[in-house]
Amino acid sequence: MQITVNGQTQDLSIKDNTLLIDVIRDQLQLTGTHSGCDTTQCGCCTVLMDKVAVKSCTVLARQAEGTSIQTIEGLAKDHLHPVQEAFSEEHGLQCGYCTPGMIMSTVYLLQTHPNPTDEQIKEGLAGNICRCTGYVNIIKAVKSAAKKMQETQV
Amino acid sequence: MNAPQELLRKEDLRLITGHGKFTADWSYDGMCFGYVIRSPYAHGLIKSINYQEVLSAPGVIRVITAEDVAAAGMKSLPTGATMQNLDGQNQILAPMPVLAVGYVRFVGQPIAMVIADTYENAKHAAELVQMDIDVLDAVTDYDSARAAGAPQLHAQASGNLSIHYIRGDQAATEKAFENATFVSSMGVKSQRLIGSPMELRAVLAKYDTSTDSYIMHSPNQGMLGMLGALEHVTGIPKAQIDLQTQDVGGSFGVRSGAFSESALVMLGSKLIGKPVKWTGTRSEIFLSDWHGRGLELNGFIALDSNGKILGLRFENKADLGAYTCYFGSFIGARNLSITMNGVYDIPALSMSSELYFTNTVPVSAYRGAGRPDIAYAIERLIDHAAYDHGFDPIELRRKNFIQPNQFPYDNKIGSVYDCGEFDLLLNRALEMSDYNNFEKRRQESLKNNKLRGIGLAYFLEASGAGTAPKDQVIGQFTQEGVLRIFAVTGASGQGHATSFSQIVHEKIGLANDHIEFVAGQSDKMMIGSGTGGSRTLYGTGSAVMNLCEQILEKSKPLTAQVLNAPESQLEFTNGVWQHRETNQTLSISQLIQKTFVQGQPHLLNLTGEASSGATYPNGCHIAEVEIDPDTGVTEIIQYTAVDDVGVAISPTLVQGQIHGGVVQGIGQAFYEQAIYDASGQLLTGSFMDYAMPKVGCLMNIQTEKIQVPTKNNILGSKGVGESGCSGSLPTLSNAVINALRPRGITEMDMPFTPAKIWQALQEH
Repeated sequence: MQITVNGQTQDLSIKDNTLLIDVIRDQLQLTGTHSGCDTTQCGCCTVLMDKVAVKSCTVLARQAEGTSIQTIEGLAKDHLHPVQEAFSEEHGLQCGYCTPGMIMSTVYLLQTHPNPTDEQIKEGLAGNICRCTGYVNIIKAVKSAAKKMQETQV
Repeated sequence: MNAPQELLRKEDLRLITGHGKFTADWSYDGMCFGYVIRSPYAHGLIKSINYQEVLSAPGVIRVITAEDVAAAGMKSLPTGATMQNLDGQNQILAPMPVLAVGYVRFVGQPIAMVIADTYENAKHAAELVQMDIDVLDAVTDYDSARAAGAPQLHAQASGNLSIHYIRGDQAATEKAFENATFVSSMGVKSQRLIGSPMELRAVLAKYDTSTDSYIMHSPNQGMLGMLGALEHVTGIPKAQIDLQTQDVGGSFGVRSGAFSESALVMLGSKLIGKPVKWTGTRSEIFLSDWHGRGLELNGFIALDSNGKILGLRFENKADLGAYTCYFGSFIGARNLSITMNGVYDIPALSMSSELYFTNTVPVSAYRGAGRPDIAYAIERLIDHAAYDHGFDPIELRRKNFIQPNQFPYDNKIGSVYDCGEFDLLLNRALEMSDYNNFEKRRQESLKNNKLRGIGLAYFLEASGAGTAPKDQVIGQFTQEGVLRIFAVTGASGQGHATSFSQIVHEKIGLANDHIEFVAGQSDKMMIGSGTGGSRTLYGTGSAVMNLCEQILEKSKPLTAQVLNAPESQLEFTNGVWQHRETNQTLSISQLIQKTFVQGQPHLLNLTGEASSGATYPNGCHIAEVEIDPDTGVTEIIQYTAVDDVGVAISPTLVQGQIHGGVVQGIGQAFYEQAIYDASGQLLTGSFMDYAMPKVGCLMNIQTEKIQVPTKNNILGSKGVGESGCSGSLPTLSNAVINALRPRGITEMDMPFTPAKIWQALQEH
């Protein structure tokens, strides 16, 4: 089975019940994608599948066959992604465990809503739990990232 | 990737790029996987457990049983400090065995660990265990534990009581109540919570036969605490355990000591000769991480005719869970009493706490560990008393504040408060929240059929003096003039590396990229306390400051040699040594580079140390809420936090701690509650049933710091990690009750769920 992860095509042998997160973490050793619950609540495992945010703990590896997956490790190219920058600058992370998922969900949110309202931010990050920050600075980071991305497009 | 732009914290680059390293991220060749067989019953007599089918399942290498644990000479888990009454009576302890022996006493209690070649195989094999357990009746809270004829957990603890802890001056308090014009009482519960750091707890051990030692990976709140606990349980000397931890995904008190799984992977690795990793699922973590809170506080207050408080009494109950583990007893007894007067000058105080065993997960520290609970109880009682007897709640507080000229203030029940400016903070909070115009806003809300409420609380908490007599850090310079600082504390999101580097940069001028902070290397023998009690910034930070002071002092003669100048001509200014006449300068890094001798430790490699006392962070928080009576949903319109954390080293990080603490309080106030059914099954066993605060639960928060420096450490800083929580529980609760009061609702326990509020409104 083939999956493209962060631009590299991977030939993998998997079982039918293997989860995408286990391929990412165990087979490809991309440990930036985290597991935080068993019930698709916390969003620590969020990655982009063909540019759409998915919770990789709830996607079978088979479902990802032939798709292009982007994980947190694949986000920064020559520079940090504006969302990564904004999370640090606005102090949108403390322990950093939920952060990869938060960042990937934000990247997706800003693809679909380049200038999100408070309501759209709430909806966009409703599937991601953070226990440290109280979310106040995460919301700031999302807004700051949106601004950065709009400015760089101009 | 190019060098990144200026990031806020030193920790951030790895964490935002997916290169953090949490315990589950470590792997070794040949690594095997443990899965814990847990008790499905809350209370039962173990008759036999048959592992035959487990052992013959695919991939299974070994099952670690209670017999193996006994054969290895392991002890039970640490019970924490033993509470003692003033008459010398000790609490009755019930240490938790690594694996259940004889009885199971809570759902989730470890019975055995299956070790297999893959996680999947271990998990599947575990399902084949045959347990013959006689199920017994369970008690699941302090009320059922203390009832007549209740099932008994431990033979040594009659009535399931561990201790009836008593502090304060009973006679004087009784007298105060006799002399009172007004008396009020208020009972509140601080419900059982599940700490839920986002990182799933994991532990990995790799035994090395040739040296008879272990490499361990485990989240922790400081190396020494974890090593001490591991040594206590396993009997393996600390020196033989190399504890390696990089990132910890939140702790909040839950990650301070070893759990059963820690001992089991060590034993497993030794017995099978391969590395063994255990990673909990969230459901397992709910059943095995120590729970938090589980307290009932019944307060009684005596006032004279002018509203001066004459006496205060609390009668508490604490739910210890099935065993005495780590901080559970300390919280329910000592931590509730030592600041029980809050910020008020009260001549007579007394407290009693009954600590009960129940068939539930043992309780230990969770953010604040008793301090938010007592702050909550005091501030709800004060509001209640004000309304009961027609006092203005603000003026009643102001009238009873300890005044600046009363410091140091000995409350005679365990604390000497060193400083505080309570009036100042109160006034600022009132101003920032536009408190005086609230009534107008309430009327506006009413027009939209919304019940608006405002709540205020003035909290104070004791942040820790630490368990060790002092804190040490070791500084070592590299040839390039980079200072590596080693300490025993362990961060779990607080940003230690950032704050400590800042102290160094500001004191001795080293560039940020010339300072490295290394937490928890077991081979560096140091004294110090772990991360807890909100004390690390001033505890370890003071040792860092002391290190810098020593470096400055000892670098002077060395600089004089290098610059060939008399010491009297040198002054340290703008982060460099400068010759007063020639204006020649030399930075500490340059000095190191010029004087470094290969293969020798540099003269300025030193040990910094400091002893820091407890500090008393305090603050005034005000919340404004709006309740929709049709749905019972509460919206937090505005939250104002004015805090005295002493000198703030990294203001942005301090603010982050306050945000996080306030929102953990929002979690307790509105969402979270661990619920057991009568048979002892945990009904809130996952994030599907245990509601966590989500994004948007707090949209408007304004924070301000008023810095009243403490003299109890050389930085002047007070703790901040837990104060947000201590402030937000009473503040939010008072706001909700304030909104409901016009409808005749004056008492309600957290969490203020829509269903609970809606139901109450139907009945009023």
